[in-house]
Amino acid sequence: MYPDRSVSRREWLWRTGGGLGGIALAAMEAQGKTHFPAKAKRALCIFMPGGVSHMDTFEYKPELARHHGKETKGANTITPFFGKRGALMKSPWTFRPHGQSGKWVSEILPHLAGCVDDMTFVHSMTARSNTHGPALFQMSTGSIFQGFPSIGSWISYGLGSENENLPAFVSLPDSRGMPPGGPVHWGNGFLPAAHQGVIFSGEKEPVADLAPPAGVSGGAQEATLRLLGELNRGHLRMTGGEDALDARIKAYELAARMQLSAPEATSISGESDKTREEYGFGDAEMRPYAFNCLLARRLLERGVRCVHLYNGAHFGAPRVNWDAHENIEINHGKLARVFDQPTAALLRDMKRRGMLDDTVVMCTTEFGRLPITQGLGEGGRDHNPEGFTSWLAGAGLKRGFSFGATDELGYKAAVDPVTIYDFHATILHLMGLDHTRLSYYHNGLQRRLTDVHGHVIQELLA
Amino acid sequence: MLLALAVPVLAAKCLSCHSAEAKTGGLDLSTREAMLRGGKSGPAIAAGDPSASLLMKQVTSGKMPPGKPLETAEVDALREWIAKGAEWGPEAKLTSARPRAGLDWWALRSPEKPAVPVIEGASNPIDAFLLAKLREKGLDYSPEASPAALLRRLHFAVTGLPPKPEEFTEPYQAAVTRLLRSPHYGESWARYWLDIVRFGESDGGEHNNERMTAWKYRDYVIDAFQSGKPYDRFVREQIAGDLIAPGDPKLTAATGFLVCGPWDSVSKFTNRDETFRKMLRQDELDDMVTTTTATFLGLTVGCARCHDHKFDPIPQKDYYRLTAAFRGITFGERDVTSGQKRTDRETLLAPLRKEQSRARKELGEIEDAPRARLLTAKLKAAEMPRGPGVKHVQLNPVFNRNKFAPVRASRFRMAITDQTGKSAPRIDRLELLPAGHVVSNWQGTKPGTDDAPQYLEMELTMGAEVSEIVFSSDRERGAKEGSVRVYRLEYPDAGGAWRTAASMLDHEVPAEVALPEVSEDEVDAAIPESARGRRRELTAAIKDLQARMDSVPALDTVHAAKLEPEMTPAFVLDRGSVTQPKDEVTPGALSAIRQLTADLPNGSDAERRLALAAWLADPRNPLTARVLVNRVWHRYFGSGLVNTPSDLGFNGDRPSHPELLDWLAASFVENGWSLEWLHRQILGSRAFRQDSRMNAKAFAIDASNRLLWRMSPRRMDAETLRDSILAVSGSLNLERGGPSFLLQKKETRGSYLYRTLDNDGPAVWRRAVYKFVARGGERVFLDSFDCPDPSVATPQRAVSNTPVQALTLLNNSFVMRQAELLAKRVREEAGESRRAQVERAHRLVLGRDPGDRERELAAKFLEAQSLALYCRALLNTNEFVYVP
Repeated sequence: MYPDRSVSRREWLWRTGGGLGGIALAAMEAQGKTHFPAKAKRALCIFMPGGVSHMDTFEYKPELARHHGKETKGANTITPFFGKRGALMKSPWTFRPHGQSGKWVSEILPHLAGCVDDMTFVHSMTARSNTHGPALFQMSTGSIFQGFPSIGSWISYGLGSENENLPAFVSLPDSRGMPPGGPVHWGNGFLPAAHQGVIFSGEKEPVADLAPPAGVSGGAQEATLRLLGELNRGHLRMTGGEDALDARIKAYELAARMQLSAPEATSISGESDKTREEYGFGDAEMRPYAFNCLLARRLLERGVRCVHLYNGAHFGAPRVNWDAHENIEINHGKLARVFDQPTAALLRDMKRRGMLDDTVVMCTTEFGRLPITQGLGEGGRDHNPEGFTSWLAGAGLKRGFSFGATDELGYKAAVDPVTIYDFHATILHLMGLDHTRLSYYHNGLQRRLTDVHGHVIQELLA
Repeated sequence: MLLALAVPVLAAKCLSCHSAEAKTGGLDLSTREAMLRGGKSGPAIAAGDPSASLLMKQVTSGKMPPGKPLETAEVDALREWIAKGAEWGPEAKLTSARPRAGLDWWALRSPEKPAVPVIEGASNPIDAFLLAKLREKGLDYSPEASPAALLRRLHFAVTGLPPKPEEFTEPYQAAVTRLLRSPHYGESWARYWLDIVRFGESDGGEHNNERMTAWKYRDYVIDAFQSGKPYDRFVREQIAGDLIAPGDPKLTAATGFLVCGPWDSVSKFTNRDETFRKMLRQDELDDMVTTTTATFLGLTVGCARCHDHKFDPIPQKDYYRLTAAFRGITFGERDVTSGQKRTDRETLLAPLRKEQSRARKELGEIEDAPRARLLTAKLKAAEMPRGPGVKHVQLNPVFNRNKFAPVRASRFRMAITDQTGKSAPRIDRLELLPAGHVVSNWQGTKPGTDDAPQYLEMELTMGAEVSEIVFSSDRERGAKEGSVRVYRLEYPDAGGAWRTAASMLDHEVPAEVALPEVSEDEVDAAIPESARGRRRELTAAIKDLQARMDSVPALDTVHAAKLEPEMTPAFVLDRGSVTQPKDEVTPGALSAIRQLTADLPNGSDAERRLALAAWLADPRNPLTARVLVNRVWHRYFGSGLVNTPSDLGFNGDRPSHPELLDWLAASFVENGWSLEWLHRQILGSRAFRQDSRMNAKAFAIDASNRLLWRMSPRRMDAETLRDSILAVSGSLNLERGGPSFLLQKKETRGSYLYRTLDNDGPAVWRRAVYKFVARGGERVFLDSFDCPDPSVATPQRAVSNTPVQALTLLNNSFVMRQAELLAKRVREEAGESRRAQVERAHRLVLGRDPGDRERELAAKFLEAQSLALYCRALLNTNEFVYVP
């Protein structure tokens, strides 16, 4: 946002790209320009930690029903992550075709089923790890190792903010808890802290340290900021004019404006009863996630560049994420009920407001689940990094379109396999960023969201 | 500038075929003349006219370079350069067509000690080298900083803390000597080192378990700086301290360096997929290799995991030879209890244990059978709730896993009451997690029953938390019988009575569900009346004995390099894939360091690591000293002589003053790798003592201050800022060393979460170097000031400036509370006079008296606002937050 001016130009170039790409990027940062014309101005990234089963949600597998109860044998044997090997299990839910596109969707997601003509499905996703930790890190940062910049940080770094009074990148964790691994999922890694996701948490006090501490009145806060400005300007004169010091004075002015504009953005008092009802505010279980969905729309509308929205929290008992080892029907049934209506309302709301024309929505999980049960005679499914479903919606995408597929049982990506690198590259592409040129020097390498991999999935583009 | 854009394109994309030597097609693109002359097809460029230039036709049509067309931006750069007249700079000839480093790379050559230039006004060699370059550009040093600014800078640079008001009168040289011996010097420089080595106190990843003894490495580092340990020894100890001095637990702690990075305990303990387990082991080794080479050698050796390094002369084979050097160790807790302590402990414990076991046996004879009957009846009758995550499982021979509410204890036992067939129960592997306690191949003596369970006893080296049991009876499925069917996991409570932590009925039971317990009264009622008195006596005795055993000092453990039971051979892995091993390799270091032999002994772990340690710290190693002096320089001046401190390779920065770097490196080794010598050289230089004021003329010539025409003012890093706020408010708790204090609360529900804890008081008013460093935790306040997550190494911190940062420093409750304490201190020290209060506050926070204008502003502010709010404003000023 405000690169420290004491960074030398040479270092700046090295950090931002070294070669020509870097020079172009440095210029771009200053001007907020993209590498090429963007389809989307902002991004909404929905994450569903735990591992969502594709064959119980959006990828219909009739063949699996025919093999229900059979054990996998020989070369086709499926190795679970840690559970016992069970038999093939059909989805406990019925699938039906929906919309103009005739997309088959599980009855578990009745509201999203009504949005399929605006959605773009990728059914051939693959992850690099079968363990939550590394797979979750890859989902958020592209790397299976902890500590790399998140996709939102890269987008903030590439494009900056549209609204100086709000952060460029906001994260909305699930009210049931942090995603496993916590704030690293919206961490800036080695990028400057300006590109860190700022947490807005819940209805009560959405932004930490936004309001003056207890006992400090609005007038006292104003007087303090005035005094501080005077002291800092006096000091600036003594130092002979230092850009970094001047920038810090401006940061306080912006902070003061953020104190005024953030509460406006997070207050939903102006939203109609009809809107609240549509998002599911009337249902106590749904309400916290519904609030986050509505808040996501409000923030994006006001120029926040990227929002991370979480449905699913940490591990442990009882389950508060999609990690359905014990019983898919109970776990996914419960989580989907909370997820479905607010998410669908958000898509419809954004569409009505024209936001789907200049926003990209992505929704993903860290891996899928196996077509077999975890243990014979059981009802859960174990981890499956070999194939799963993610979906997109919005600007620059073919709508009501499905791409790729797992095999007939839903085990491995069989048609047009896609990596998370490809998925990330496509998001950046829609935002006018070339994933091979959006880079930052760290520990000897020009680091990228997509490491040295990734291809834009051209087939998804309208 | 246009040429600057065109040159890399020509050098990287064209010159490998069209250099003066190669001249393919008769074309040489290494000089402007040669380009105008052209090759067989005519001139390559027409200055000022891109459309008439053959070069442009070839690159825009995609013909050149063959098969690898240029990117649009690269073509544009060439076009613009030709359009503007194809200006050529003083570099008349392009030489390097290969965009990578060879064996003759500057950093790989031995540092020759260059002659020190004779320069007027240079008081030491550093000044001579710097002034020589400055004067070439018509520049000079800035005048010396004011004594107050200089002392402030010195204190922060050496100790990371602001000077106290009374310390401003101390002469500079005296202060240098005193501060380098102050305990805060070690704390401050250790914190810098811990960034470089990615030091963290939790595993990271899904479970993110805490590492209760990792702080011992932190204390080792502080002590190493503080005690003036020669750097070569510091290097060797971090690789092989446990082998250099096997009896010294502190030196074993030094190897915490190798294993203080993130680690995936789930893949280690839980993953059943053999390939993924192998990947984890390879990741462990990668972490050790990458961190060791980046830290000490400033090379990015990790790039050679999948292929030969693309920019530096590091073959893939070298990478795998280095992994072989570390194959004897892994992550974990290491028992470092001394032989004497162990003997003493055993002498104390053995009779107590024996006595307790006798009492237990007698008590067991009285109550075990009735108690077990009661418990079994209750378990059978218990209405276990149904719902997500709850189910009754059938145990199986191959794999069972049970998570439960965490229990902290040093003893556990598995009470087995039923098994398949008629033989004694067996366990071929059992793990208690997250403690990591492992049992292999155990078998009972006879079949366990409800009345007479078979007990698998487990003693953990120290009290540890257990929230999960994973076990199998017979993974190979070779035995027909003896697989556990019914069990309880038990632990002794404070009274010595066995409590149930988990049983086969509660696999994946929600933590809230209470397990059936048998009350003491129920047991009493179930035994003969005559035995009740004896039972009470025995229970009391067991409790007393347990208390006495608990008071015996625990074993000493440390999170450090843990020895592997066996060393497996190392292979080159094709594209880094564990499923594609190629040639086996023997242990080795880097072949690019020609000054030393790269072969390491193909022997024991000790031989391998000691040899690697010696290789790293060999005075002939061209990188070790260069990297260190550059790191120290970087910290003092805010940018290194090489501005990428962990990468001196091709992708890194080039040295701004190569001779100075070499002089410092060579002299550092000559002076016994003494850090104090190095600090004194730098602190004694005029370069360090310059003013930091802006100078427009110099700025126009060297905006980034690489030539050091002034001292660059710098924002405090996150920890320094926190420490300084505590220091000026008078609350800083100077307690040194020992276990870390918590700024986060640990929540555990199968995996750890580290949530913000807004706690207060002297326990958390210690220096930030002593705070518990969780991976993936929230670090409110520190986060927004660029304090990194310790999952990746941070050789240089970002310095950003954001409105969120401003909000944090302004509104965070920590700052407000400290501002109040500061106001209290000011009142105590200055009395009730407002004028005196303002003076005192300025002296404490900014180290100087307020000016007239500031006095006016203060007087006006304090008419309506409190002194605490005035103090809060001072803590927010640029002058406080920036070191001059």
